[in-house]
Amino acid sequence: MDKPEKDPPKRALSPLFRRLLRLKFWLVEHFRLSERQLTLIWAALIGALGAFASEGFRKASEFLHTIATGSSSEISSSFAHLPWWQRLLVPTVGGLLAGLTLWFGNRLFASIRQKTTTDYMEAIVVGSGIISVRASIVKSVSALFSISTGTSIGREGPLVQLSSLVASVVGRIRGMPIPQRRHLVACGAAAGIASAYKAPIAASLFVAEIILGTVVVESLGPLILASVVAAFVSQFLSGSEPLYKSPGFNLHTRWETIPLCCVGIVLGFLAPGYLRFLRLAERLFSKIDIPVPFKLALGGTIVGALAILNPAVCGNGQGLLRSLFHQNWFWEEILAIMVLKFVATATAFGSGVVGGVFTPTLFIGAALGVLYGQAVLYLAPGLRADPAMYGLVGMGSFMAATTGAPLMAILMAFELTLDYSIAPFLMVNCVVAYYCSGIFEKRFMYGESLERKGAAFFKQQLAEVNLQDLVRNDPLTLPKNATFAQIAETFVQHRYQHIYIVDQENRLLGAISLHDVKTFLDRPELEMVVIATDIMNEDFPRVLPTEGMSEALRKFTAAHSERLPVVDNLNSQRLIGSISKTDIILHLAGEQGTAAV
Amino acid sequence: VISQKAVENLRAAIFIKNLEVESEYEGISKMLDRLRGHAQVQDLQALTEAVFDRQQTDPPLFPGGVAFPHARTNSVSSLVMVIATCAQPIPFGEVPVRLIFLIGIPKRAGAEYLELISFLARHVRGEQVVDRLVAAEDMSSFLAGFAVGP
Repeated sequence: MDKPEKDPPKRALSPLFRRLLRLKFWLVEHFRLSERQLTLIWAALIGALGAFASEGFRKASEFLHTIATGSSSEISSSFAHLPWWQRLLVPTVGGLLAGLTLWFGNRLFASIRQKTTTDYMEAIVVGSGIISVRASIVKSVSALFSISTGTSIGREGPLVQLSSLVASVVGRIRGMPIPQRRHLVACGAAAGIASAYKAPIAASLFVAEIILGTVVVESLGPLILASVVAAFVSQFLSGSEPLYKSPGFNLHTRWETIPLCCVGIVLGFLAPGYLRFLRLAERLFSKIDIPVPFKLALGGTIVGALAILNPAVCGNGQGLLRSLFHQNWFWEEILAIMVLKFVATATAFGSGVVGGVFTPTLFIGAALGVLYGQAVLYLAPGLRADPAMYGLVGMGSFMAATTGAPLMAILMAFELTLDYSIAPFLMVNCVVAYYCSGIFEKRFMYGESLERKGAAFFKQQLAEVNLQDLVRNDPLTLPKNATFAQIAETFVQHRYQHIYIVDQENRLLGAISLHDVKTFLDRPELEMVVIATDIMNEDFPRVLPTEGMSEALRKFTAAHSERLPVVDNLNSQRLIGSISKTDIILHLAGEQGTAAV
Repeated sequence: VISQKAVENLRAAIFIKNLEVESEYEGISKMLDRLRGHAQVQDLQALTEAVFDRQQTDPPLFPGGVAFPHARTNSVSSLVMVIATCAQPIPFGEVPVRLIFLIGIPKRAGAEYLELISFLARHVRGEQVVDRLVAAEDMSSFLAGFAVGP
């Protein structure tokens, strides 16, 4: 009887490799990083990078401030030591330099700005998640000049801008699809706010509640992680003290809860006036037909003139806020500085200075709260009201009433002060203020900004976006005669759940699911005798790039798969990439966000 | 230890003692022919095409001269198997084959297919086992050949 002399030559896996494969497969199965977990890792990294970017900006503005005023102390203190003409000159020159930076920058990078955006909110909600690097740097340098020379504007704007920019750059370098890039930029924004205010919970809710308009875990988780990491890094770099440490409050009598719970009503009705005044200032400045550098210089001159009357109007108002909670003020002083600060902030905002109005708004709210507290003390001395406590509650209430985000305002006020005793009053007043403000004002602070940018137009565009924009060009493929050993190796080396089987012309023949073969992956006897075509699912759903979102989601539901292959058309079936369910959900979350704004 | 499911599959298989053919094509065709009228075979033509298509892609062979032409196809409603022993080895390409397992399995039964192939690959191993199986007179002695082990 003839017997076979030799077997067909095929490459088998060595026993050592097989053992390693088994170990690796066990590890991969138990510790495999899903896309959601990977997003968390990126969020943490963005948090750290955002905090470093914010800290860099903070140091740069302090350095420039020292050069401009000859003093390294807090802005309002520096201005207090300057002669009147310097108080006028420094913000004027700062405004001129900021305006010149914007003017030259816009002329130089006009072509770039047409394709991308410099606004982080726009990039997150309606854009492609790409923020123009050069234009952002121009904005940040402009903000640096304004902020360091005493303009009454918040630093948080450029801080958020820079950390969002870092996130956008990372997303672009990693070649992430649009939804992930947008999500990453949202993480960057949260990191910027967290490092600006050392308030990680409020920062994540700021982005979720105001910008995304949704607090689903899918998007909130990475935001929280980015914010917490950013806050930790900021605390490591610049101390862990809360920004506005509470002196500690006690209710002297239970009756005091009545006036305390009415703060939100008063401030809720005043907030629309504040928002309208800011808009009025913007309209007035828009009517002044002079070049941007002169417009910003004019804004600086007005702030400088106010600084001659009271240097405390300079800067974002952080120092003033601290002193409101820790020093005794006469009501006339508070009223005067509040009015001046109000005008200075509206002037800076109206003239088009790059920056935020968040901190100035906190101050206005706190000042109104303290004034209300002093009125309570005057009218009902028996309650022995502490005006500073009303100031803290007022700060949160005014924030809720102007931003339209009561949840964020509650947490922000709590994190800024870390005083639990005021938390119940904060909660009540923030919600009440939000509803009272909503009676007269439908356009809140940040929502209005997006509305102006044509969010409605973008929303319509977003609905029309086809799946092509979400396709990743990195599908895992093998030929139809790939051995079981190759299939096992490929699954272990990559984190995908499916391998797509293609012919020589890259036509999709089917897919092999890890779920179907995982119990057989460590069987050496199968390595050379089973090939891809034996185990592939030829009926695996596939998506066309021209299909709508709803059709794609229906296929995902039917396939129970995180990722589906995308083919060019149903006739040729050429594989052009893959699309993930997470990307679609994030994309839709962005769309919802637009609707909420 | 032989799995119960594998024994059931083997027991239900059609057994051909001493398949005498000249070529791989002729051998597979003859074995497929034995499935004509089989209750589980809904479309013999489609099964035949699927089996030869698979052979063309990469003929599945075990060391020791064992071939198992097969196809995952919906032309069968459940697993069907034809086993053939060959006194004279049949050339499958360059490899002389003495034992053939022809398998048809529905597409939905991927796990069952892998389990069966794994079972055969583990048990039809070594010249002694193949000699014993090739020498089997009928399905009972064929199954007994498995039970003895390598």
